[in-house]
Amino acid sequence: MSDFKPRGGFPAHAGERPDSAAFERGAGPLSRAGEGQGEGFACSGETWSLTPTLFRPGEGARPGRHEPTCEHDSGVGRESGVSRRALIAGLGAAALLSRPRHAFADTLPADSPAPPEKPFVIDLAARGRRTGTAGGTIRTLIAKARDVRYLSVYGYTRLVGYDAALQLRPDLLERVDVAGGVFTFTLRQGHRWSDGHPFTSEDFRYYWEDVANEKALSPEGPPAFFLVDGKPPTVAFPDPVTIRYSWDRPNPMFLPALAAPRDPLIYRPAHYLKTVHARYIGKEAADAKAKALKLRGWAALHNRLDDNYELNNPDCPTLQGWVPRTRSPATRFRFERNCSYHRVDTAGTQLPYVDTIVMDVASQGLLVAKTNAGEADLMFRGLSMPDIPSLKEGETAHRYRTNLWPVARGSEIALYPNLTTQDPGWRALNRDVRYRQALSLAIDRRTLNNTLLFGLGTEGNDTIVSDSPLFSPELRTLNAGYDPAQASRLLDAVGLTRRDGSGMRLMPDGRALELVVESDGEAEMVLDALLLITEFWREVGIRLVTKPQERTNLHRRSIGGMTVMVAAQGLDLAVPTAIMPPTELSPAQPEHYSWPLWSANVESRGKTGEPCDVPEVQHLLELDRQWRHTDDAEQQAAIWREMLMNHAQNTWVIGTVAGALQPVVGADRLVNLPERALYAWDPTALIGVQRLDEVFWDKAADTRAEAK
Amino acid sequence: MIVAILRRVVTMALTLLVISALVFVIIKLPPGDYLTNRIMELRATGEAGSVAKAELLIRQYGLDRPVWQQYLMWVGLMPGPVGFSGLLQGDWGWSFEYDKPVADVVGDALWLTLLINLTAVIFVHLVAIPAAIYSATHRHTVGDAVVTLLGYVGLAVPGFLLALILLFYANRWFDLSIGGLYDSALTNQPWTWTKIRSLLAHLVVPTLVIGLGGTAAMIRRMRANLLDELAKPYTVTARAKGLPPMRALLKYPFRMSLNPFVADIGNLLPHLVSGSVLVSLVLSLPTVGPLLLDALRSQDQFMAGFILMFVAGLTLVGMLISDLTLVWLDPRIRMGAR
Repeated sequence: MSDFKPRGGFPAHAGERPDSAAFERGAGPLSRAGEGQGEGFACSGETWSLTPTLFRPGEGARPGRHEPTCEHDSGVGRESGVSRRALIAGLGAAALLSRPRHAFADTLPADSPAPPEKPFVIDLAARGRRTGTAGGTIRTLIAKARDVRYLSVYGYTRLVGYDAALQLRPDLLERVDVAGGVFTFTLRQGHRWSDGHPFTSEDFRYYWEDVANEKALSPEGPPAFFLVDGKPPTVAFPDPVTIRYSWDRPNPMFLPALAAPRDPLIYRPAHYLKTVHARYIGKEAADAKAKALKLRGWAALHNRLDDNYELNNPDCPTLQGWVPRTRSPATRFRFERNCSYHRVDTAGTQLPYVDTIVMDVASQGLLVAKTNAGEADLMFRGLSMPDIPSLKEGETAHRYRTNLWPVARGSEIALYPNLTTQDPGWRALNRDVRYRQALSLAIDRRTLNNTLLFGLGTEGNDTIVSDSPLFSPELRTLNAGYDPAQASRLLDAVGLTRRDGSGMRLMPDGRALELVVESDGEAEMVLDALLLITEFWREVGIRLVTKPQERTNLHRRSIGGMTVMVAAQGLDLAVPTAIMPPTELSPAQPEHYSWPLWSANVESRGKTGEPCDVPEVQHLLELDRQWRHTDDAEQQAAIWREMLMNHAQNTWVIGTVAGALQPVVGADRLVNLPERALYAWDPTALIGVQRLDEVFWDKAADTRAEAK
Repeated sequence: MIVAILRRVVTMALTLLVISALVFVIIKLPPGDYLTNRIMELRATGEAGSVAKAELLIRQYGLDRPVWQQYLMWVGLMPGPVGFSGLLQGDWGWSFEYDKPVADVVGDALWLTLLINLTAVIFVHLVAIPAAIYSATHRHTVGDAVVTLLGYVGLAVPGFLLALILLFYANRWFDLSIGGLYDSALTNQPWTWTKIRSLLAHLVVPTLVIGLGGTAAMIRRMRANLLDELAKPYTVTARAKGLPPMRALLKYPFRMSLNPFVADIGNLLPHLVSGSVLVSLVLSLPTVGPLLLDALRSQDQFMAGFILMFVAGLTLVGMLISDLTLVWLDPRIRMGAR
């Protein structure tokens, strides 16, 4: 932080905050709390959003132009563009506006937002995309105000992140060097937060020492991916752009965790958060600040301000493409481009191309109707397959297109026989591989496919999809045909030979074989599928009873061992590469409907639940452990394949059909939004890996969006 | 009289206290609390990374305490982490969902709710009373049949369905944006003429939808009441002594037939706040209804508790007002009390 100079030059701020901390940039969440939206440091959006010849920071080709670039608002309203420009000129910044940004980055005041000196240069043409022009607004719809946080998912700005081909690459970081258990991160020279403050190793140190290892903020200590054999790394910060995490052994969990859809954010804006942290201003002072806002303790205040994921706090500096500008509660949220963003295209235009993202809150039931009426330029979350006809219907009238992206999920509906259920009779049955396979063989997946997915789905096990390099066809087809006769033979072999008057089988202890399948009722498709499966299973003498219930309740019953079988969606991580953790396939997953008690046991390190006592599942756990101990991709791939094959052979989870289509609606003239790509939560971060920051408006479309 | 009113006020306070306990118990009845719900949701959507933060936040608001302590703290009968601060002290509580004081969250929504429902109530009266008078005085004519039919249709068509249909055609024919109370581009903007015009345009559909069901019911009741009165001897007398027909109608039978509606004010007031939940949801109106529903779903207990208490309070005040007005309006009740 040696390059940081306290500044008090802007009267609006200096007047408000007499204390010394107030002079620090972004210091005063407290003194600012009552001020209006948009206060703070912003890009000037009003001029360039429609100007055909745009000038962006980093655009060195046209020196001498007098278009506004990024500058801070310094208390002047956004609408008063002229007076602000005059003010800037008065501050001696006129030169700043008339020369390309790169040339004199050193002479900038420490806190002007600007791209790093060594930005991430994106070669769009090489990837078959068009180099864009800047400006415009993208409107989208959300169902709840809290859903604004998904922008930090599909905005997808990570230290390291996946590209569209799911290769892990440095993004915010300039480079990552991995040598065994030693990870060295190198930051970009001159990288800044959205408020212009330098982004340095201090921000990583702050997170590590003052957030992750501060009991008041993280009672459980650092997150699990930091621990190898239960031990945290030694972390060193040799200079402002270098961070080094060292473990004794390789930690293959680390980088994938940083690329996750939910960013763990192992760096925080230290300069901003220190102003409320007990260690830096004293506990009394920190608590007093919290009390003034009716919060209980400084930790609550710190948590509230530390907001790079939830995106509710416009004051919190960020590294992402767009900066929140609206405080909740509101029904319309605005995000403006971050002028410090680190990505630049080959023509020198700083990304993201789009200036503003606007999110309107509308009730869930209206999302489709509003999209159909052309009230969104980009829309995907909240839409689903049954909406496709209504979406298609409005396409020509409102000039958008409905792209259909295949959903990467193991199975749209999967049945989880609970191997750790309390009832001894059911437990014995669920643990019998013949019984599980009989249930699988008795399902007519073709009918399910035709009924639920217009026949477009893939029938078979709950396993990875064919786009994954680890895929092989038998993973999906093994024990997943439709053969009721064989299913009956297997059930007879298990000992379920006796039947009651209506032809339904009886359990060995004389009870009717009445299988209660519980579901959380959130996904309508699951309930529809269960209706059909009831009919299929009736044919082999099994009565299925559906029990939809509230999610919390289901969770409680599951971890209590009360469920016999649960119906839910299948594998989340269905397009893995070898370096992604195979956690979901074994009881290492914290909650898994097939073995909740074993999962609890692993998670609590033996304190609760039951130790796993089925050899095949023990083997899965062992494989998961092996995966965590190696950073050799080939060995990891072998482990993945073995675990997947273990699943296919043992039918731990009964898959049905996969391959639903996710409608991704984009305005006609929104360029660089692919027609078809995989859609998933993990690893694609919804549409994240397709890079929203590269999407831009064709000129004509701009006018239309603004006219709206 | 004053003693009677004071007595009423004291019973109202006690009733409110009982209601507050009931409301709190009912909100706490489902298993789990906001914390567990939130954590489930985060897990289910793959955001387990946020769980620790959510957990920490909730501890700070005392959700880990016994229910009776939470209740007493909420009402303000027991000191919480920051001393006595509850409904009695004017602190309306904290909304977990929005991470803000309830007052801030509900504030704006309350005004818009009142606006919509007041408009609807005015619409109901403006349409229903003339229609009822007409159909009562022209009994068994074609006009009466038409009004009655329309009334029944209004009563029979579910509000949300009508809302969706009207929205669709308002969008198609008048290019009105779907849902909301004004064009979404005008959100967060100061109240200008454009915004007011947009508001008025968007008010039409909710007013129609919320009002129509009420209108039908009111026409039916008013018509029945009037018919009763029209057959009474005093009406015959009035006509016989040669009063002009309009005056003979409005001065006596009409006035009598208003009685049930005055008695209804008690129900009308809370209806102003909570009456349009379903329609507000469908129309995506920024009113209290959707807030209440969400709060109940996610067990955002103080928020739900406050809204329910507010509605309960309005009911009690409405009852008081309607009783007083009845005493003033109807000599029979006034005399009967003596």
